Amino acid sequence: MQQDRVHVRLLIIAGVAFLWMGAVAGRLSYLQLFRHSEYLTRAQRQQQRTIEITPKRGAIYDRNNSPLAMSLPVDSAFGVPSEIPDEHLAARLLSGVVNVPQEVLEARFESSKSFAWISRKLPPEKAQAIAALNLKGVYLQKENQRFYPKRDLAAHVLGFVDVDEKGLAGIERELDSQIRGKNEKVIVMADARQRWFDRSEDERESATSVTLTLDEKIQFIAERELASAIAKTHALAGTIIVMNPNNGEILALTNWPKFNPSKAGDAPKESWTNRAVSDVYEPGSIFKLITLSAAFDQGITRPEEVFDCQNGAVTVSGHRIRDHKPFGMLSVAEILAKSSNVGTIEIALRLEGPKFYDYVRAFGFGSMTGVDMPYESRGRLEGLKDMKPLAVASISIGQEIGVTPIQFITAVSAIANGGILYKPHVIAELRRGDRVLPADGPLAPEHPKRVIRPETAATLRRLMEGVILNGTGTPAHLDGWTAAGKTGTAQKIDPETGRYSPTNYIASFTGLAPINNPAVTILISLDSPVGLHEGGEVAAPVFKRVAEQVLPYLDVPQDVPLNPKLIQAAYRKQPSEDTSSLEDSATMDFSGQPDATPAASQKTTVGGGSRPASQPPITVAVEQGGDIAVPDLSGKTMREVTEMCLRLGFEPVLVGSNLATEQSPAAGSKVKHGARITVQFGTPVQKKTPLRTGNRN
Amino acid sequence: MTSKNKKTVIAEFHTVKRIDNSRLVRHVEPAKMRNLWRTVGLGGVVAAFFTLYVFQHFRCIDLSFQLEDLRAQQMQAAGKNAELKLEIAGLRNPMRIDAIARRRLGLSDPMPTQVQEYEAPAGAEEASARYARPNHTP
Repeated sequence: MQQDRVHVRLLIIAGVAFLWMGAVAGRLSYLQLFRHSEYLTRAQRQQQRTIEITPKRGAIYDRNNSPLAMSLPVDSAFGVPSEIPDEHLAARLLSGVVNVPQEVLEARFESSKSFAWISRKLPPEKAQAIAALNLKGVYLQKENQRFYPKRDLAAHVLGFVDVDEKGLAGIERELDSQIRGKNEKVIVMADARQRWFDRSEDERESATSVTLTLDEKIQFIAERELASAIAKTHALAGTIIVMNPNNGEILALTNWPKFNPSKAGDAPKESWTNRAVSDVYEPGSIFKLITLSAAFDQGITRPEEVFDCQNGAVTVSGHRIRDHKPFGMLSVAEILAKSSNVGTIEIALRLEGPKFYDYVRAFGFGSMTGVDMPYESRGRLEGLKDMKPLAVASISIGQEIGVTPIQFITAVSAIANGGILYKPHVIAELRRGDRVLPADGPLAPEHPKRVIRPETAATLRRLMEGVILNGTGTPAHLDGWTAAGKTGTAQKIDPETGRYSPTNYIASFTGLAPINNPAVTILISLDSPVGLHEGGEVAAPVFKRVAEQVLPYLDVPQDVPLNPKLIQAAYRKQPSEDTSSLEDSATMDFSGQPDATPAASQKTTVGGGSRPASQPPITVAVEQGGDIAVPDLSGKTMREVTEMCLRLGFEPVLVGSNLATEQSPAAGSKVKHGARITVQFGTPVQKKTPLRTGNRN
Repeated sequence: MTSKNKKTVIAEFHTVKRIDNSRLVRHVEPAKMRNLWRTVGLGGVVAAFFTLYVFQHFRCIDLSFQLEDLRAQQMQAAGKNAELKLEIAGLRNPMRIDAIARRRLGLSDPMPTQVQEYEAPAGAEEASARYARPNHTP
């Protein structure tokens, strides 16, 4: 009986337990089978976060892997107006931090209830200040910002981006699709405290970086010399291109006016123009190189052949074309050296229109070079049917044809390398991680084409050397290297009258060095220089300064001995030149973000050094640092100077004749035993006048 | 009460029956023991697997937290690295170096006569290349 009672109790308990378990199982089944999707969605909403990762834009490097453009993540502030309890208060507090008027912020908050930008790409201190406000509904988000650590260096090649990191100019625009990457979404799991503990993402592709053919040192040299030339000539604009003629690589390309890509919006839009590829101008006398190339290549003349330059004027189809100076009988070499229009026209007319046209086209004029930069112009060239004698005559001397600087330096490079026309380019390679991407599409290398015979190119180079040695381009004479070039002074068209302006010119010079195995071709173009305006006067000296810095940098061995007289003449005026060039760049400011630490920027602030600005620069001399004082040699004869130097243990370098007028190192300098003392001799009272060619071209 | 008690008095005798079971052998069924041990083992394995699973699960979550922390640190370090690269690039700006050299240090370009080129001794290039530090920024 008692056992029965126990059995009953056990059955009751088991039944209750079974019912309880059944209830639990039933509830679980109900939740799993019928409410599964609802709770799954709710759990995902609570645990999962989808974050959008803005791709980091690929960096741009120069040929030595020195970064020219980089992207870094920075904070941007946005608000969710529906979450902001007091928009007026929030706008007032934020206004003080981000320097945006309170009304503007309020308007932004009112325009959308779900999202409103407060300020994008904030400096770290402002982002911290916003975070410190701890405003409800105000958040920070990481975005990438483009930085140009070299500031305005190579600005026209690099271009710039907008606030959304979209390329608007230069390489940034040309390769925007490659270096920009794609936005990616990542799903992360977060716990109740919103700590991430898991994520799902596909393997991301690293950004495509670009390596340019530019060399930042050469680029800097070109920019410094262009700025100096602009300051001296007060030209409206200018361009310098340095190219490797043996493969079409552009080593430097600079324009004036320039801009800082980090603050492109602050610069006038005119300064954004990459004049080297976009500007079309009448080249003037430098185009005579193309005319003579065609003539020599066709074998219709020889350098020694003499032409009658008709005392300065020739009439073609009823139009009288003058020389800048009357010439009589000139050989072809002299025609180029003295830049005779009449002589060149006579050669061109002998060549005839169609053949001349073919050569002009073959050199790439009238069509785009295909350089990998945006907004390239094809220039201006009449069709073959318009190649009447007058057109041939005009084009042969660089009129009635429009060219771009990049077209012209490409053509001159063909003359430099023996007659092969290479496609100019600034992009060396694209990289993704450690992998070099194949060059395809517009970046694919093109087969170079021969435009003139090697003998023709050699003849041209020899004649171009004559331009520098005894023609219109003597200021371009290099110390230590042979060089060849051609000056050009083209009259600009006056937009008001439609005629050639008597006051506005484009002064240009194009050259190559050394002659036998050219390492560089350089083109200088100055738009509307004030005062001295001829190519030989204003552009040729720039060629000299650029080439004399670029050639040793490239380790190009000197192929002619140094001319001490020229050295002395060149450096006698240097201190004043240096000072002026420094004054030109006095607006440089390295104190701003992003590249300089406060300490570094303090050190580098212009004029902030310990040395007074007025103090003369110290010349670096490898012989200096010794303990023998250099005597004052001025007024002494060569014999006295030699004896004195040898007695003190110096090696005298005597330049000129008559009495000692100048010396280097200066009197009183301490030098080591065996140091070289350069002494310039001449008439002490003689004062040198500035070098003037007296020629138009 | 007394009369009733008288009627029901029954003599009871308590006898002690001694039973000696010491000679009995308790028989253990081997099959049942095997089943028992098998069940215990299986239960232990299941419990161990369950414990391992639970441990793994929570360890995985714990490691996920650590991984995310490390990812955040890595991103922070990468960002700092990029900032430093940018700063280096800015400090190496030729324009800046030129300005410092000329203005602060008072340097100027050497005259060509002051520059002497020395011929490198044999093997110098190889030696310098051997000790050169690769400088691949990307």
